[in-house]
Amino acid sequence: MPKLIDAHRLIGPVPFDDLPEDPRPEMDRLGVERAYVTHTLSLYSDAHAGNQALFALDDPRLIPVPVVVPEAFAAIPEWPVAMVRLCPERHRFDLTGPVALRWLAAMDAIAAVDLEETSPAQLLALARHLPDLRVLLLNPGYRRLRAVAELMSEAPNIWLEIGTVNTQRAVEWLAERFGARRLVWGTGAPVLDDCGPRFLLDHLELSDKDIELIATGGDLL
Amino acid sequence: MILDAHGHVGSWPDFLIPDPTADGLVSLMDKLGIDAMGISHLLGVGPDAAEGNRLAFEIAGRHPGRFGVWQVYNPHHRTPLVTEGVWGVKIHPDVHQCPLDDPRYEPVWELGLPVLAHGQTDSPWSDPALFAVVAGRHPEVPLLMGHTGLWPYGFARAARLVADHPNLYLETCGSKMTGRWIARLAELAGADRVLFGSDSCFLDLRVGYGRVALAPLGDADRALIQGGNLVRILGGLA
Repeated sequence: MPKLIDAHRLIGPVPFDDLPEDPRPEMDRLGVERAYVTHTLSLYSDAHAGNQALFALDDPRLIPVPVVVPEAFAAIPEWPVAMVRLCPERHRFDLTGPVALRWLAAMDAIAAVDLEETSPAQLLALARHLPDLRVLLLNPGYRRLRAVAELMSEAPNIWLEIGTVNTQRAVEWLAERFGARRLVWGTGAPVLDDCGPRFLLDHLELSDKDIELIATGGDLL
Repeated sequence: MILDAHGHVGSWPDFLIPDPTADGLVSLMDKLGIDAMGISHLLGVGPDAAEGNRLAFEIAGRHPGRFGVWQVYNPHHRTPLVTEGVWGVKIHPDVHQCPLDDPRYEPVWELGLPVLAHGQTDSPWSDPALFAVVAGRHPEVPLLMGHTGLWPYGFARAARLVADHPNLYLETCGSKMTGRWIARLAELAGADRVLFGSDSCFLDLRVGYGRVALAPLGDADRALIQGGNLVRILGGLA
């Protein structure tokens, strides 16, 4: 399987466990060529410091996903990045407030958001406010499959990371309804598992073409 | 031999399971090389243990050698239990709202068969500490701690708690488990105390088995976890 891309990975220490801080050894072991990476400092300490550490990595295998914290009186960052991450719950801002909408409209990057950081209703509002914005929904899980499917039906600019889509044949169920192009392989490792999602990819009951599409980011990445 | 210690058939009210069927499980087991799976029917885990057990036996009969039955015991309904043709007993203290060390489970321990119980760190019904209590009371009963306590912050504690109880085992299924943690559990508790379970069809069999298949483990430890230990516990039944 060529060019396997993990759309959701972390680099750096986490406060609640002793996990590998550098994703590259596990990426090598599991055949992951590149990963979209957020620095843990941005999630568990200071977003600015984490983003600085992320940009300092300068490794073409690790594609930076800085964390955006929209602020009313700050300049909108002009980062040359393909994807940014937003944590409206953790950083206490309104994902569909005027500041966030203004920033996202100006940034021209995929907006990655963890489902636990928002709600399907907020995401639908975001997608409708900014129909040109491409949103990658991280960690959708399996318990809210009906709500996520309803959201994807209504918002064609939302893509789904499948690392936590973890009930029997749910990825095939989603692919049947939305096409493999809207499904993106990612893991959330090392906090979340990469072994199971990696194995799943090799055993999906989809065409080789669809599996390769999911493995390389659908038509989003 | 690859044995899945923790499986289900049927639907569950909390969420959509796209494929809740036994035939769906068998087709994936064939693809992955999984020889057999211990199942309880989710109807049995839920409101009707007797009917759920009947359905589980029917499924096992329809697929000879592929499914072992964990007959569900509901302590409120005093579900009739059998001793022959089963892997053991499944209890779910959280769904049944009856703590693992409650005397109402006495008929289960008296049977002497392996027991698979849902285990959930900090749950008043199934915290891993309750497993240590019950394992101490009934050292002759092999007791499988389902999900190893479920939450990652409790995995290391669960591994410590099995140390003094040779009849207590860590079963690995759950949406928060990782391949890294399976390898750590093998280091902390010994690979001979860790059992592969998937929780399919509740969860996807490929994700559950993939964690073991791709975990950073040596071949000997992986062989124990993915089947060797359960063969020993079941005394060749499988």
